[in-house]
Order: sequence, then C-alpha cells, then structure tokens
Amino acid sequence: MKSSRRVVLVVFSLLVASTTLPLIYTYTTTLLENVPGVVLERILTYRLYRSLYTVLAGLVLASAGCMLQASLRNPLVDHYILGIGSGSLFAVYIALLLLERSSLWVISLVATIGGLSALALTVLIAESVSGSDVAYVLSGIGVTSLFSGLSVLLLHYVVRKYAYASLMLTGTFVHARPENLVYTSLAVALVLVGYVVLSKRLNVLMLGDDYAAQLGVNPGLTRLVASLVAGISASIIVSQFGVIGFLGLVTPHIARFTLKTSDNRLVTPLAMATGSLLLYITDVISRSLPGGVGEIPAGALISALGAPFFLILLTRRFRGALR
Amino acid sequence: MISTKNLTVTYKRSGVVALRDVNIAIPGNTVTCILGPNASGKTTLLKAIAQILDYNGVVEVTGKDAKSIIKELRRTLSYSSILEERDLLGVTVFDVLLYSRYPVSRGFFTSEEDTSKTREVAVKLGIEGLLSRKLSELSAGELQRVVLAAALVKEPRILLLDEPDSHLDVYSKIWLSGFLREISSSVTVVLSTHDPLFASLTCEYFVVLSRGRVVFTGSRRELLENTCVLGEVYGVPFTSTLLGDLHVLIPLHPRFAKTTQREEENRVVEKSPVIPPTHEKTTSSREDFT
Repeated sequence: MKSSRRVVLVVFSLLVASTTLPLIYTYTTTLLENVPGVVLERILTYRLYRSLYTVLAGLVLASAGCMLQASLRNPLVDHYILGIGSGSLFAVYIALLLLERSSLWVISLVATIGGLSALALTVLIAESVSGSDVAYVLSGIGVTSLFSGLSVLLLHYVVRKYAYASLMLTGTFVHARPENLVYTSLAVALVLVGYVVLSKRLNVLMLGDDYAAQLGVNPGLTRLVASLVAGISASIIVSQFGVIGFLGLVTPHIARFTLKTSDNRLVTPLAMATGSLLLYITDVISRSLPGGVGEIPAGALISALGAPFFLILLTRRFRGALR
Repeated sequence: MISTKNLTVTYKRSGVVALRDVNIAIPGNTVTCILGPNASGKTTLLKAIAQILDYNGVVEVTGKDAKSIIKELRRTLSYSSILEERDLLGVTVFDVLLYSRYPVSRGFFTSEEDTSKTREVAVKLGIEGLLSRKLSELSAGELQRVVLAAALVKEPRILLLDEPDSHLDVYSKIWLSGFLREISSSVTVVLSTHDPLFASLTCEYFVVLSRGRVVFTGSRRELLENTCVLGEVYGVPFTSTLLGDLHVLIPLHPRFAKTTQREEENRVVEKSPVIPPTHEKTTSSREDFT
C-alpha cells in the first residue's frame, strides 16, 4: 500500500509543473507512449533530476541536523539556525558576483568555506556567552541575520548575472540541472560515511564530555568531525539549491518521537527518510499551487511549516517539558 | 592495584593546583573511600585515575603505567558521576545503559549480547521498570541508580564512583553499601563521599584529602583510631561509635565535641587495640588536634 502510494507520488511529481507542461498533455502523451523526443528529454533530464535532488537534499539536511543536535547536545539547532545556511549563501553570492564564469565546483568550495566560517563564528560567540543550548540559538540567529542581510544587499547585483539567485534565499529546485548530481552525491556520500563512523560516538557524547572520555570517545575530536561533516555537506546543498531551513531541525525530532529512542544509529536513517519525503512533497506542492501563481520556493514552504515547530520546541524547552 | 606517584593536577584555565604530589596505593578487591571537604580534590583524583584529565606524575594500575594500557582500561575501568548534562534529546534509561557498553560492544548495531547484559544489570539493580523512561523524567535518586548501572554494564574490574550515595534515601544508601561490599570481592571499588557514616559502613580503605594533598591513608580501623584527622580537615570534630558490631564515624556538633569525642575514642581503643598508623603526614595533625 505504502509503496504504491510512493509510485503514484513519483509519477505525479514527474507530471506536475507550474508552467512548462500542462498536466493533461503530459498524462496523455506518456500514456500513449507517443512521447515527442523533446518532451521526454525534458521530463527525464529536468523533472526526474529535480525529484532526485529533493530526495537527496532532504537526506543530507536531515542527517546534518541529527549530527549537529547530537554533537552539541542541543535540540534547537540545525544548519540553518547555526548560520551555516546563510553563511554559505553569502559566499555563493560573492563568488557569483566576483567571478566571471564560476563553475559549480568553485561555488561549492566557496559555499563550504562560508558555511564553516559562519558556524565557527556562531560557536565562538555562543561559547563565550555561556555555551548553553539557548546561547547557541541566539548566537546563530545573530549570525544568520548578519549574513542574510548582507546576502539581500548583494542580491540586487547578483540577480543581474544569475536569475535564480533570489529564489536561493529560501531554497528552490527550480534550476535543477544534471550537473548538480556530482555535488549532491558528494554531500550524500559524506553524510553516509559520517553516519557509519560517528553514530555510536555521538550516542556516547550525548551523555556528556567526561562520560564520553571515560568510555574512550574523544569529545572534542568527535564534535569537530561531526560539525565538519554536517557543515560541509549542508554547505554543498546550499550552494546547489539555496537555504532550506528547519528541515534539519524538525526531522530528528520526528524520528526520536516515533522510535522512542535517542539512538543515532536508528534516529538518523529515519530522519533521512523523513527529510527526503518532506522535501519531496514540499517541492511537489510548491510547483502545483493553483491560481496560476507559478512556482514558489520549496524552502519557503518548509520554513512556514518548520518555524512553528521550532517555536513549539522553544516554548517547551522554557517550560521545562523538554527536560 | 592502583597507585599514584607524585600525582599533580593543575587546571590550565584557572591555574588552580587541584592535586599536589599525591602518592597513594589503593588495594585491589576492596571498597576504598576518598574523603575530604568540598574542593579538596576528590573528583579530580578519581578523574585522574580514570584518565580523563591531564596530570603530571604517574598513575599505575596493576603495576603498569595507566597511559600505556589506556585501551584496556577503557574496557575494564568505569568512572561514574551523576550526569550533569541536562538531557534534551530524549535519552532513555535503556539508551544510557546501552551506550555505556561502547568500549566492549562489537559491530555497528546493537548486538544480542549488548541487550541481554543491559537487561541483566537493570534487573540486578532493580531499575528494569525505568528502562523506557527518559533521563529527564527521573528523580535524582533514580538517576543515581541508573548511573551506577551504566557503570556496571561493561562489567568493569575497577569501579570509580563519584559520590554514589548523594541524593539517595536511607534505605537506598544501606542497599548501596551492601551492594558495593558484595561486588568488591571481584571488583576494585573507589568512591568519594561526603557522608562519613556511609563511608565507614561501606569502605575498608581510606584516603583523606585536604586542599589537594593527602593527609591520611589507611584502613578503616586506622581511621577510626585517628578521627582527629577528619576533625582537622573538616573543621568539625568526629567520633567513632559502635553500631551493631561495626564502628562508624559520626561528626559531632562542636558543643558536644570536647567531652564526647574523647570518651568515644577511648572506648574504641579499649575494645579493639590496633597498630598505630604509620603515615607520617597524619602524625603532626593528630598531635595538633589533641
């Protein structure tokens, strides 16, 4: 039953789009197996890739969220809250602006540097205040605001060179290209290796630094590696599709709640699957809204759903229910 | 079993010397107690033995430098203190026990052995009913039992417990005392505590610290003979009194100190004459006090 639903969804997402191919036309031509070459090419090279990217990006961002939450022992963070998203987007804008012809390779590298720098800034500020979970959130919001503001300023210039730049502010898959596959796969590979290497260590680290140390887990090193894996992989996704906030925050919580455990070996795969599915559905919705409004950024929709979830977590945290 | 040579610990950030030239030899398969007031270095000493902080000097376990057998120690030595980290990620009691098998668990996923050992220890410590509860939902006393269980799941040969009796009610303290004495036939237990009564009921060997220095090491009997050591360290007079067939340590209100303490000390000496302690460091303090 479930798999048949998924098949329907996949087919649906291949057919539906805001502008290019009317639903009826696509449906009939596909069914009659009399598909014109151009249409088939469009469906395969664009919509199939696009669907694939939503699944892979959802997987990466959810996994990065799991790693960041476990390594910082903080339920209120993801790559967006910690400033990685806006930091890498700002770096991407700079690269687009300064470089005449910038390859995706360069963009990914620059985004990674930007994302990791923003993360380092957030951690530095949070640790200098108190190092508490809320300090991380506040410091992250500050850093995010800084880079978001700068990005918006740059946007007016960047958008002249790259039309989709404005949509990347909230994350979009509208400009999906086959070339994105290499970089997205790289991010996926990174989080999968991170999952295998770090999950057991992160479990132990959740119990405290001293506790981890006496069990033979180096707390500082584990936290650094987890932050790097999460930071680099999330930055690569941002460099391809823009900032998709709150997905990495929400999905680990859904997984922990469903499984009734904090075990990262189990939580991370379920969070990955949830992230993939959520982003996939969101992307389908974002390009099939009625009323001829065209396409809205998928990331905006995710934020609209994820931000209230974040606020619920925050209020529960202060009321002590999360303890 | 465990010995230290010129063990000195300096905290880098504050520059505070938490331990200075500590030379002790803790016997194997006994319950050893580290006594001392707040900030005397008890936790630091346990952490240094557990190899989770930097120190100068040497810690030897079974005659070998602990640093050289660190991998083996991670499997055979457990250090346990109340979990200070506020858990916000929904860690359950079962999770804590399972994660604590990290050094001995094989493979990526949880093995049958991991699960069975975890349940076995939970039953042994009477916390099987708590396994699905989140850490954040536990009372301090329940958490204390969970922490002890977590220290035992990898079946260590050395158990270092930082204030295992704090937050426990009277019944639980008596149970813990009996439990630790029972397991000490196969496990070397070193604990720190603020409760002299619990210490004297439970422990065979004592190390008394004051401001990072060792002021006494010796057996329970030797300490009972020298309660003045504790009196000077804590600033409160101590006495030993007979409880059943066991002498225990009790702090006195200064008002009753002068008369009662001498009486009690004399009584102990009369009943059980012992060899006077040979620890030179304690001699001066004893003389000063009396």
